[in-house]
Formats: sequence, structure tokens, C-alpha cells
Amino acid sequence: MIDLQGYGPRLLEGAGVTVQLAVLSLILAIILGLLTASAKMSRSWLLKRTATVYTTLIRGVPDLVLMMLLFFGGQIGVNAISDMLYYNYEIDIYINFNAFAAGVLTIGFIFGAYMGETFRGAFMAVDNGQIEAGKAYGMSSGLVFRRIRFPQMMRHALPGLSNNWMVLLKTTALVSVIGLTDMVRVAAEASRATHEPFTFLIPVAVAYLLIASVSEWIFARLQKRYDIGFGGQ
Amino acid sequence: MLDISAWFNDLLAGNTIFTADTLGYYWEGLVTTTQLVFLSLIAGLILAVPLAIMRSSKHKWISLPIYFYTYVFRGTPLLIQLYIIYYGVVFIDGIQDTFLWPVLREAFYPALIAFTLNTAAYTTEIFRGAIKATAQGEIEAARAYGMSQSLMMRRIILPSAFRRALPAYGNEVIFMLHASAIASVVTLMDLTGAARFVYARYYAPFEAFLFVAAIYLCLTFAILFFFRYLEKKLLAHLNS
Amino acid sequence: MAATPTPLEVRNIKKRFGDTEVLKGLSLQAQKGDVITLIGASGSGKSTFLRCMNLLEQPDDGDLIVHGEPIRFKTTKHGREPEDWKQVVQMRAKLSMVFQSFNLWAHMTLLENIIEAPIHVLKKPKKEALEHAHALLDRVGLSARANAYPAQMSGGQQQRGAIARALAMDPEVMLFDEPTSALDPELVGDVLKVMHGLAEEGRTMVVVTHEMSFARDVSSQVIYLHQGLVAEAGPPDQVLGNPQSPRLQQFLAPKY
Repeated sequence: MIDLQGYGPRLLEGAGVTVQLAVLSLILAIILGLLTASAKMSRSWLLKRTATVYTTLIRGVPDLVLMMLLFFGGQIGVNAISDMLYYNYEIDIYINFNAFAAGVLTIGFIFGAYMGETFRGAFMAVDNGQIEAGKAYGMSSGLVFRRIRFPQMMRHALPGLSNNWMVLLKTTALVSVIGLTDMVRVAAEASRATHEPFTFLIPVAVAYLLIASVSEWIFARLQKRYDIGFGGQ
Repeated sequence: MLDISAWFNDLLAGNTIFTADTLGYYWEGLVTTTQLVFLSLIAGLILAVPLAIMRSSKHKWISLPIYFYTYVFRGTPLLIQLYIIYYGVVFIDGIQDTFLWPVLREAFYPALIAFTLNTAAYTTEIFRGAIKATAQGEIEAARAYGMSQSLMMRRIILPSAFRRALPAYGNEVIFMLHASAIASVVTLMDLTGAARFVYARYYAPFEAFLFVAAIYLCLTFAILFFFRYLEKKLLAHLNS
Repeated sequence: MAATPTPLEVRNIKKRFGDTEVLKGLSLQAQKGDVITLIGASGSGKSTFLRCMNLLEQPDDGDLIVHGEPIRFKTTKHGREPEDWKQVVQMRAKLSMVFQSFNLWAHMTLLENIIEAPIHVLKKPKKEALEHAHALLDRVGLSARANAYPAQMSGGQQQRGAIARALAMDPEVMLFDEPTSALDPELVGDVLKVMHGLAEEGRTMVVVTHEMSFARDVSSQVIYLHQGLVAEAGPPDQVLGNPQSPRLQQFLAPKY
């Protein structure tokens, strides 16, 4: 076995942070993505415009820059809000700027834009006759969404979803730059302290590959589930 | 020349953050980012062509090692790759005494190597997909005219594969531009590095990062339009 | 016999797509047990007319009265719209449509397709819905295919399944949108046989079709549409047996 020089437990903890961060960001990104896709397909000019600006801006700027903007800017914003509350209303609260929550928000916000594109394409790929049949049998639009549109859309969305997840997973590494102690940060610290970079960085790289392989397997299972009825096309 | 700088100073008068000094940092950053991205893309492209051909090979012992390479480099964060190469070089025993040290210390070359290997991996897979998608009929026609394997690769398969790969490669170029922002992590003064410097100096995150975001946005659009133009020119035969 | 409300009545329906007016004021009244067939060349507006009846298309003008209850409309910047979508949803549950391309839900088995709306729209208990579904499957001759997915069934089986799905709603009126047009000729017979049976048991039906034999043998009223207007209407003997206009004569000619 490799000698992790006492960094083993911290690396494991870091791996936990990476996985939690990735999963929570994914959930947020899916919710934002569904909202963005609905906005883009809505009849409202304002909603459509807002969604387009959101996706264009996010996709035109590096993740790291957005992250720093939201992280460092967020901190100042939070301070400004608590100052404002104190001076204007004499409400003295300390809003804790939680780095983990900020990380989830940032990554979720970034990937919500990508998910929006994935979902929009997937929704448009659903045969309109399937939706019409739902309407013709007296289903409300909520029921049509839940029982027909969503399950049929997922089949088309899963490949893109899986791809976005893989990119998102790797993007979590960037939070180490900003101060969150994920496994990359622990490994980088250990490398500097021990002057043995390979001992720490290569296992972390392998951990990413492992997580990716496990998720690939999960996505394949999901795809099978949502392909039911479509003759494995 | 003097007139311009006087006009510039006028323009910046009263602005505490965007002084000529600060803009100088951003300019330097733009140059570094452009160099890094451009050089790594060129080197990655040169590597990717033979790698893609090998990856498409019918012989497992040729294609498998290439697949392993692309799998690892596409499956792990670029930041890890950068750290491994950067620290790997820095902590080599005795390197600080060699003539290479002044070059390697700068982090530019480790970053360039990491970016090149990374983009080469992605580009290899893009090209492989394009090669695989070559119409069987075109290959049969080439065989029927007595072309050798290498002649066919050079004259028939690659030219059409490059064109097919163009949209995906455009995305890869934008991806590289954005990914290059992590160069700032290993102390390089690229665009993002400049923004971090300005942020640290003035404690003005919004100004520092919004400005650099706008620059990236412009660069992204420039790349986008360039590739759209290329596609229109080179893919004209596909949309009759 | 107590007077029951007319199941379906439409008055003066108008519809335009862009610059072309496809429906120029069409009316129809389906009493209980009526089988009304709509015929006409493609582009005559017959499918659009049918789709206006359950508001899959929004008519620009005209009234829609289902089981004595008029649908309320309002005008928005997007055009004329139902005032209350809840009312539309309830109305649609009383009419069930059979589509040209079947539109069975692809991610559900045939049985799941049939019980879906009764359970989630009519709020029937699952057990009851299942019993009803099995009886209907038996009736359309598909008991053996209950657990098949639509993609695993032939077009004729899918359409008979779709009819079972429509029947499961105990509809007031059944709307058929060219139910045999997408089928291979040898599969048409089975579907028509099921529809014959429905007419005989007194179901109220509005059918858009190209099957002149069905129109002649089964319908109580035939409506011939031409360019968005009713050109001729009446009992089948009259409309099909003694067409007045040269246009209808020509339309009927190749099939006789």
C-alpha cells in the first residue's frame, strides 16, 4: 500500500466533500435546468429572454471566474446586507457565509444553464401526439407533465444529463482553489508539505475515475428504465 | 503616442480601480491566456491526428493504450493534471540546480504541457468519432480505385473527417479558453490571475471579476463566430 | 323518457391558420346514439373541425356545448382562449378521442394505458379500473396483449387498444380522427368491426373517415365538408346515394 503519511483520513473526508458537493449541485442544476427549459419554451417574451441571457452568459465565462465572482462577491454582498440591516433597522444578525453552501449554489447555478439546454432538447423530442392524447383524456397540464411529458423526456435527456454530470464532477475540483477542503485541496496541501506529489494526486485522480465509472453504471441502469417501451431504439 | 496616453489618463481620472496600471495587468493577462491557449491547441491538434488514427485502429494493442490515455485525461479534472505536472516537475530532486529551472519555475511550461495533453485527449476522441462516421461507400469507392490504406486515410477519410469534426472542435476550443483560467492557480498571471490580483489589491470582487468575465465573453463570441464562418465555408457541400 | 341534454353541440366554428381560413363557420349536433361521419378531401378541414370539438385546436369563433354546458371563452393577446381550463379538462374527460396515429403512451403497457386516465382523471379505484380494463381488452380481442408495450404491437392492435382506452372513460361522445388511415389495408377490417359494434350498442360517435362503406352502413348522418364549409349533409342514403353537387359526385366516384 502507498504510505499516505497520515493524510488518509483527511483525504477520505475530502472525498466526502467532493461527492456531497457534486450531488447537491446536480440536484440544484436539475431544478434550475427544468425551470430554464420551461422558461425557454414559454410564451412570455420576458421569461424567454431572461433564460437566454442566463444560458449565454454562463456558457461564455469560465467556471472559475464565475465561482470567484459569486464567492468573493457573495461574501461582500452578505456583509453589505447585514450592515444594511444593522444601520437601518438595528437588526444585528450575523449571516454566516457558508463556503460549502456557496459552492453548491455556484456550481448548481452554472450547470443549471447547461441542463436547461439538455432538457429543452429532450422536451422537444417528445412526440406531440403523446401529449395530445393526455390532453384529450382530460388530464390537467400538471398531470400531463408528471405522467407523460417527464417520463418520456427523461429518455432523451439522460445522455446529456450523464455528460453534464461528468463535467460537473470534475468542476467540483475548482472549489479547492477558493477555500473548500475537498479531496483535491487536501492532496495539493499534502504534496506541498511532503514534496511527494504523486503519492497524493494520483490516488485522487483514480478516485475521480472511480466515481465516474460508478455513475456511468447508474446512468446505464436509468437509461434502461426509461427506454422501456421504446424497443431499445 | 503621448496624446493617446493623456486621453487615456483623462478617461481613467476619478476611477480608483481601473487605472492604467490595472489595465496593464489585464493586458498582460490577455497575452498570457492567448499564448497558453493558442500554443496548447496547436500542439494538441498536432498530437491528436496520429493518436486518432491509432485509436481507430483495428488492432487492440494499438488502440487500447490510446483509449487508456484519453479515458484518464478526460475522466479527471484538469486541475489535478496541472498539479501533477507542476508539482511533479518542481519537486524533482536537484532540478533547481539545472539550467532548466529558470524556465520551469515560471509555471508557464508545466501549464502548457498539462493543457496540451488535456486538449489532445479530447481532440483525439472528437477526430476518432469523425473518422468512424465516414460513409462506408466512400471507403469502398477508394478501395475500388486501388488506393492504399495510407493514401485513403490521407486523401479521403481525413479531409472529410476534419470537416465533420469542426463543430465539436469549436466547442473544444471554447472549453480550452475557459479551462485555461486555472493557470492562475499555479501563480500564472493570465486573465483570471490578473483579476485575482486586482481583487486582492482593491478588495473589489465585482469590478475585478465582472470585467474579466466580459473579456472572456468577447473572446468566446469571437471563437464562436470564427468557427461558424469556417463551417459555412467548409461544410457548404453538406447542406445542399 | 326524461329529456337528457344533447351530448355535444357545436355552433358556427371558425378557425384560421395564419392567412388561410380553414373553418368558415361549421355547426353540428350529436344526439344520444348518433353516429356522425365527416367526409371530405384532405384539406377540407374535417380533422381540424374534430380537434376543435375537444379544444386541441382553439377555434377563433363559435360555441361549444358539452352535455348542456357551454364552454366559456375569453379573448387574450394570444387570441381566443377558454376562460377556465378546469372546465375544459372536465369537458375533455367526457369526450374521448381516438387518433389517427393511435398515440398510445409509449412508456406504458397497454393495460397501463387503459387505466391511466380512469385512475388519475376520473379518480376511480385501481381495482375497479383494472376490472373494467380487462373486460374492454377482452371485447377488442387483446386480452393476450395486456402487458405488451405499444411498440411491440401491430398498428391494428394499437388502434383497437386505443379504442379500449377511449371506452375506459365511459365517454359521453367518442371522437374518431381518421382511425384507419394509418393502418395497412389488411388490418383495417378488425378496427372497423369494433367500431361497428360500438355504433350498434348506441354509442354517440363523431367520426372523420375515408371509409365510405363505414359511413354508408353505420352512420346516422353524413357531413361532406369542402373548403371549410358544409357542402352537403343528411342521412347516408341521401348524401352518398344521391350526391347533388358535381364535387361530391367526383369525390365519391373512384370509390364506387
